[in-house]
Parts: sequence; C-alpha cells; structure tokens
Amino acid sequence: MKFLRYLILCVALVAWPLSVRADAVIEGRVSLPKSRTAPVMNRRYEIIAKGGVLSINPPLAVAYLEGSFPKSAPPPVAQIAQKDLTFLPALLPVQVGTKVEFPNFDETYHNIFSYSPAKRFDLGRYRPDEKPVPSVLFDVAGLVTLHCDIHDHMRALILVLDTPHFVVTDPEGRFRLTGLPAGRYTLKVWVDSKTTRELPVELTNGATVRADFP
Amino acid sequence: MVAPLAVRLAAQEFLERAGEVLTASAFDAAWRGRLSGTLDLEQYRFQGAAPGLIDTARHDLSNPRLALFLDAQLGEKAYVFAQTRIDRGFDPGLDETEVRVDEYAVRVTPIEGARVHFQIGKFATIVGNWVPRHDAWANPFVTAPLPYENLTGVWDFDIVHSSNQLLQWSHVRTGLSPAVTAVEKQRRLPIVWGPSYAQGAAAFGSFGKFSYALELKNAALSSRPDEWHDGSDARWAHPTLNGRVGFRPNEMWSFGWSASEGSYLRPFAVPLAGHGRGDYRETVLASDAGFAWHHWQAWAEIFATRFAVPGVGDADTFAYYVEAKYKLTPQLFVAARWNQQRFGTIPDRAGDETWGRDTWRLDFAPGYRFTSHMQLKLQYSLRQETGAVLAFAHELAAQLTLRF
Repeated sequence: MKFLRYLILCVALVAWPLSVRADAVIEGRVSLPKSRTAPVMNRRYEIIAKGGVLSINPPLAVAYLEGSFPKSAPPPVAQIAQKDLTFLPALLPVQVGTKVEFPNFDETYHNIFSYSPAKRFDLGRYRPDEKPVPSVLFDVAGLVTLHCDIHDHMRALILVLDTPHFVVTDPEGRFRLTGLPAGRYTLKVWVDSKTTRELPVELTNGATVRADFP
Repeated sequence: MVAPLAVRLAAQEFLERAGEVLTASAFDAAWRGRLSGTLDLEQYRFQGAAPGLIDTARHDLSNPRLALFLDAQLGEKAYVFAQTRIDRGFDPGLDETEVRVDEYAVRVTPIEGARVHFQIGKFATIVGNWVPRHDAWANPFVTAPLPYENLTGVWDFDIVHSSNQLLQWSHVRTGLSPAVTAVEKQRRLPIVWGPSYAQGAAAFGSFGKFSYALELKNAALSSRPDEWHDGSDARWAHPTLNGRVGFRPNEMWSFGWSASEGSYLRPFAVPLAGHGRGDYRETVLASDAGFAWHHWQAWAEIFATRFAVPGVGDADTFAYYVEAKYKLTPQLFVAARWNQQRFGTIPDRAGDETWGRDTWRLDFAPGYRFTSHMQLKLQYSLRQETGAVLAFAHELAAQLTLRF
C-alpha cells in the first residue's frame, strides 16, 4: 500500500510539469490596414499653444489566444501615458482585471474619459504631478475608446481580453506569442473595431505554429 | 435596451469613421487638414420679451444651426482655420437661412516654441476667457454670459442728441414711438457681442507662466456681426486695439487682464457736429479668472466699460459673472452662473440719472453627453431687471448638439 502511494506520487511529479509546461509558440503575420492620416489639432482659440506636427500612430493589431486557461495571479499594472498631447501607446491590450494607470507627462492638464459600454469613466482634469497616478480597473472584456476632454484629437484604445495570452503586432504586422500551454485553442487577431479574424490552432509543447492572416 | 445601445454604437462608429474620412494629408503628412462640425438644434421659451441677442417678437423660438470647421496644419510653422455656418442669422432669430464664413485665419509661428505667433484674418477676440468655450460643445450653457449679450441703450445706427434720448433708448424712460420700438432692439449694443469675430491681425505667445496677446481689429468689441466682415476703409479709419496679459501660476489657476478701445459707431452714422466717428469710443477694462481641478471647472470675468457719447458724456457700465461646472458622472454635468450688470449715471436736466436698467440673471444648466459626439443641454434662467414689466422673468432653453 505504501509502495503504491510512492508510485502515484512519483508519476504525478513527473507528469505535472509535462501537463502545465507552457512553451508552445505561435508566430505569424497579419495584413494591417493602410496607415491612418495623422490627427490635426484644433488650436483655434489657444493663445499659448505650441506649434508643430503631432506624431503618427501606425496601425497595429492584437493577436490573442482564446480558450480555457487556469486562473492566474492578478495581472500586472499597465500604463497609458499622455506625452506631447498623444496617448502612448495608442493601443493597449490587457487582461480582464488589469489596473491601468494614466500618467500625465505633459506640462498641461489632460482629462481622460471613456463612454464605451465596457468601461465608462471620467478622470477629470489632472496635473502632471498628480499623486497617486489616476488609474482605472478594467473588469469587463471589450473595447474601450479613450478620449481627452481638452484635446479633441487624442484617441487611444484599450482592448480588454479574457485571456492572459496576447501580444501587439509590430508595424509590419508580425507577431509572436510565447509561453503558451499545449492544447486546442482559437487564435484571434483584432485589427480594428469592425475586424477580428480567427484560426483554430493545436499547440504541442516545444513546438512553434505558424499562423498568417493575409 | 440592447437595440438603442446597438444604434448608439453604430452611430458612434459612423462618426468616428467620418472623422477619419474628413482628414487628409500631403507631403508625407507634414500638411494635414481636417473638416469637422456641429449640428445644433435649439429651442427657447421666454416669459417676457426675447432676452439678449435673441431676435423674435414671439415667446418661443426654434433655432437650427450647422457649423463646419476647417483646421489645417501646414508644416510646423503655419496653421489655418475657418468656420462656416448655415443658420438663420448669427444670433438666434427668424431671418432667412444664410451661409456665412464667420472665421478664417492664418497663424504663423516663426520660431519654435510658443513665444510668438502671428495671426491674420477674421477671428474671435483675445479679450477675456469665454471665447475658448463659446462653441456649443464646450459651453456648459446654451446662452452666453450677460456681458456678451445683454443689450445696453447705446446704438450704433444713429447718434443721441440728448440725455433724455439715451434714457429712452436704454428703456429707463418710455417715449419711443411704436415704429422705433419694433426695430430698436436691432440697434442696441452689448458690452461684447458674442465672440466678436472681427477682422484684423494679432500677435500672441507665452513666456513661462505669462502669456500676452495683442490684436488690431476693424470693429469694437460691442460691434454687431454685420460689422465684423466690413473691411472698408471707413471701418479701418478707426480700428480697435485689444490686449490681454495672462498669468497661469499652475494648471489649476489662470488669470487675465484685458483692455480694449475702439469706435462703436457704424460708418454710415453721422456724428454730432464737431465730432468724428473716433469720438464714439468704447473702452473696456476686463479681468478674468479660471479654475479647474478634477471634475470642477469655474470661470469669472469682470468688465468695466465706458461708452463715450458726445453731447451727453460718458456712459459707464459694470458687469460680471461667476460660473461653475461639475461633472456628476462621466456623462452628466451641471453648471450654474450668476450674472449681473449695473449702469452708471449720466447728467440730465433732473440731475444725474442711471442710464440703463440694472440686471441680474441666474442660470442653471444640466447637460448630458450620450456619446462623445452627442450632447443635450437644458437651461433655466431667472432674470430680474430694474423697471421691467415683469418683476422676475423665467427663461428656458434646450440645445441638442451633434458633433462630427
């Protein structure tokens, strides 16, 4: 009887790392929409506005794995900064339950708000040195569009996902998802608010799967 | 519940995409322009005569307005903007539908940074702190503060020959003929006529916590919209000079001090013998303050104004308002404003006489933003005017704005 217990324990110890090992990889490329025109700032009635051209945020996509995953520790705090009157980054994927901070690195007020059903909030006007840094907990999956009540041209998106496995593509559309558990899942690529593409994938430990979205 | 949400999201999506479609660029995005606009549907109801600059003999008025804006950044040093409106007159009224170009200007920033900008065209005044929030989307109220719309007894169509005539024009005394009464509202002037989109040139910029602005315009602050686009030599013979110094100790507080002087008499009005148009001057000294913190915003302005009236003397008036807005939820806000205008005295046969009706008005306005493109505001105002038929006048206004 004692021997049987040792045997079960040994089998469990050997088998456990195999079952939860998460070292599968998916890499691929997604066709991105053509580059957006950069925003134009409304400065009609600003007498202390600085001149200049705003930076352009190239279109990016988010690749993520959908399936059933064990509950993990609370996701780390994420950030979207406001710098040079622009949101940085302009696209942020986060897992449900993530707290996002909105530090202001400009020498002026910002007033971030969202009327998206996934999260409605208005942080009010806050200074660059405001402590604690204003933050919001995103607890419902969905797309959240951020605006600034003071600077019309400012836009950013937060994609709240019910998965811990996601990555933003590079400007060429390339992505690489690592540390994935073996199993059958759906790989999704969010391109814009109207376009999400998907592929079924079967992952095995240590293997790399290629998935392109031409 | 699901259907309206779906419709709202679809409309939101459409307007977001419209914003992208209406943006164009060239020269590797160094030149870029955007068309945007607002569609306003306003409804007014008032107990007594139409208040302020509203022009109707009825007790209610519907007023639609479409405003189109062009903003274009041409490299790092030039910025162009314009505003076109389709409505029934610059101020709410019953005129025929017209298309006007209310603003157009080119701004040049010769050196990097914010120290100096030059601007030429037809654009809003740099006096005070109301202009940056005067459009329908940004203004928490439907109407303008009292100093920007309350009509005084000063006319620009004609000149007064006596104190008694000025006291009649300002409604302190009765005696106007019925024919004059029917049209005289269209002849009176406020301290500042709305945003005062007059023609001219400006220089402005900032040094650390201080800012400055100086502008030379073709019309006085009180001049009516018809005068703003009159670029004739007669108008420019007596230009208006406006200046403002601003101090912003931190992002929370801002203060400003403005001054203005210019001729208010229209070029076709014949001055009193021995006087020229330049003697009919409006002089304004103003001070403003602004405050913002989290969900609070507050503003205040004070105007000390003198209309020089040859043959009568100086007609002084003092006006101020204090305004606050608070966001109760991300979409719901409330605003309240206290306005007051008092008039000085002019010499008369019976001794010194107050030359206008002292007025106060309390405005209260809740507003709701359905999306970042649609907003509804309601306004209730309680007005008290010395010597008016009604001890207290109640005024209601509503404004639905669609922004794209």
